[in-house]
Amino acid sequence: MYKFVLRRLGFAALSLWGVATIVFVISKLIPGDVARVAAGRLATADQVAHMREVLGLNDPLFLQYTGYISRLVQGNLGTSTITRQSVMGDLGAVLPTTIQLVLLGMFITVLIAAPVGIAAAVSEGKAADVAARIVLVTSGGVPVFWLAIMMRWILGSVLGWFPISGTNSVDGGPPTVTGFTVLDSLLFGTIGNLADSVFHLILPALALSAPFVSTLARLIRSNMMTALKADYITFAISKGVPRRRVILRHAFRSALGSVLTVFGMQFGWMISAAVLVEAVFGLPGIGSYLYRAIINQDTFSVLASVVVIGFVFIATSFIVDLLQMAIDPRVRHAQLGAA
Amino acid sequence: MKSETAGAPSAKLADAPSAISAAVSAASIGGAAARLGRRLFGRRTAGVDRMAFGLVALLTIAAVVGPFVTPYDPFAVETSEALRPPSAAHLLGTDDVGRDVLSRLLAGAGLTLLSAAAIVVLAAAVGIVVASVAALLPRRADEAIMRACDIFMSIPSLVLALGLAAALGPSMLSIIVAMVAASWPSTARLMRGILRETMSSSYVESARILGMSRPRLMLRHVLPNSLDAIYVQASMEISGTIVMISGLAFLGVGAPPPSPDWGSMIAEGQQYTTTAWWISLFPGLAISLGAIAFGLVGDAVRSFVDPSSRRSS
Repeated sequence: MYKFVLRRLGFAALSLWGVATIVFVISKLIPGDVARVAAGRLATADQVAHMREVLGLNDPLFLQYTGYISRLVQGNLGTSTITRQSVMGDLGAVLPTTIQLVLLGMFITVLIAAPVGIAAAVSEGKAADVAARIVLVTSGGVPVFWLAIMMRWILGSVLGWFPISGTNSVDGGPPTVTGFTVLDSLLFGTIGNLADSVFHLILPALALSAPFVSTLARLIRSNMMTALKADYITFAISKGVPRRRVILRHAFRSALGSVLTVFGMQFGWMISAAVLVEAVFGLPGIGSYLYRAIINQDTFSVLASVVVIGFVFIATSFIVDLLQMAIDPRVRHAQLGAA
Repeated sequence: MKSETAGAPSAKLADAPSAISAAVSAASIGGAAARLGRRLFGRRTAGVDRMAFGLVALLTIAAVVGPFVTPYDPFAVETSEALRPPSAAHLLGTDDVGRDVLSRLLAGAGLTLLSAAAIVVLAAAVGIVVASVAALLPRRADEAIMRACDIFMSIPSLVLALGLAAALGPSMLSIIVAMVAASWPSTARLMRGILRETMSSSYVESARILGMSRPRLMLRHVLPNSLDAIYVQASMEISGTIVMISGLAFLGVGAPPPSPDWGSMIAEGQQYTTTAWWISLFPGLAISLGAIAFGLVGDAVRSFVDPSSRRSS
């Protein structure tokens, strides 16, 4: 058990180093004067010269690399050329918005995907199954940012059911303590704040979850179909176990295995999809930050964000693997056998 | 030795690793296409599959002839004609500077589809080469290469591609390079698994016992017999690739402004949705239809190559 956790931890550490190195290599591919890019378009000659010094661009490549890694270990991601703040501080301020959007998106994904997947599997080949597949294939192919724009337009602007932008109404949100508007409302704000905060997140989270619902529901459907054909299901039915119980307790549990793995990985993918959705809804998360950095050619902030998203992704897949080992005895035994 | 003639081309291929896949594909792609065609127009083909194939054919035609049949110049700025709703003169309306949306859609079709195809083919080629080399190397090196792929895959591919494309500067070429760099590791990983499976089959074993060298074994037996899986993988990837490059273009790392890229068109129209919904709506519909059609075709190709997957798709 400990051996497996340690091995997994070792791989996570290796991945962190790998991500940092990949991004370093990417930064070497920037065409033109790197110091000018890093200092910003409006920088003076002095500032550019200073940046050349900071990045050690006149040093040998190896020293540049070790300098970069040691700055990274100290949490120094450089200074944004647009906000003039440290990128680390900026990202710390925007990450909560992204994380709460992704968490709500994950919640909506399960809420829709599980019943749809199960219902489709149970009615295999019938109208409900066909209808579900059409909807799922469609939602899997629609680009998430376009769906977000269309939802903002129809459900927000035309019908006026949802707010179209921002995290809170103009009359002010909850006091900012943790940065998670929902959590802040819950702990320090009013019921009104809470409703307002959640309300502002629903539309973006709904748009964000569309492609993930498609993947997850299709996986649940195909796993459920396999599970429902197993001998022990036939046995349970012939023994007189209620159909509902057979489907939800027996079949669904055994169908969960790979669903959990995919669901865990979706957390990471959803963070990258959130980049696209946040830009549409004007949510001040890492996506909007990246978008602004790209538009303003603040390449080093873009790369720093890539590192941070990579780190978050690695951390979540590590946690997911551990959780899965704790939940699923089959995984636990397989892993322990290997370790 | 009899193998003198047959050996020469494969020795030449080994010198140019990138040509391996191309040559091997060309050899059997014809046969596969013929079989696929027979299935498509056979009686048992599902209606939805036919529609998807029809749509893909239509999009391909649009990509090839689109730029030459545009009703208007897709780049001509005509401010007096700006933000016109769909009408007989402008079937899909005009954008914020008066360019015809239909013309831009047609002009951009090739850009989107060809770069998606290029990305999938290049990523598959790199993946195959890496996987084959890994399969030929000693076990330790093989494992190290696969671990490196895992590390590459620990950055979500959209984010990796975004970072790389932003560093290279906004152009369609950066998107292609970035997407290939972001997607080859998963292809390599998948290919390595398929190669391992093929290598454990008895005819490969027999050829090895007969004394065939490992590189030759790889080129003559293992790779050609693993190609079906590559077609499936490639056809499934196109759909996601179309969506992803449009996302990158939407974020502004694609071809710079006047370019009629579908993703950038959506971005240009997004502030006008309440007054001129057609600017964003139609390019998005085109991307969605393309992605869905290619996705269905991918499924059809998979169930054609691997009938056991038919039930679970």
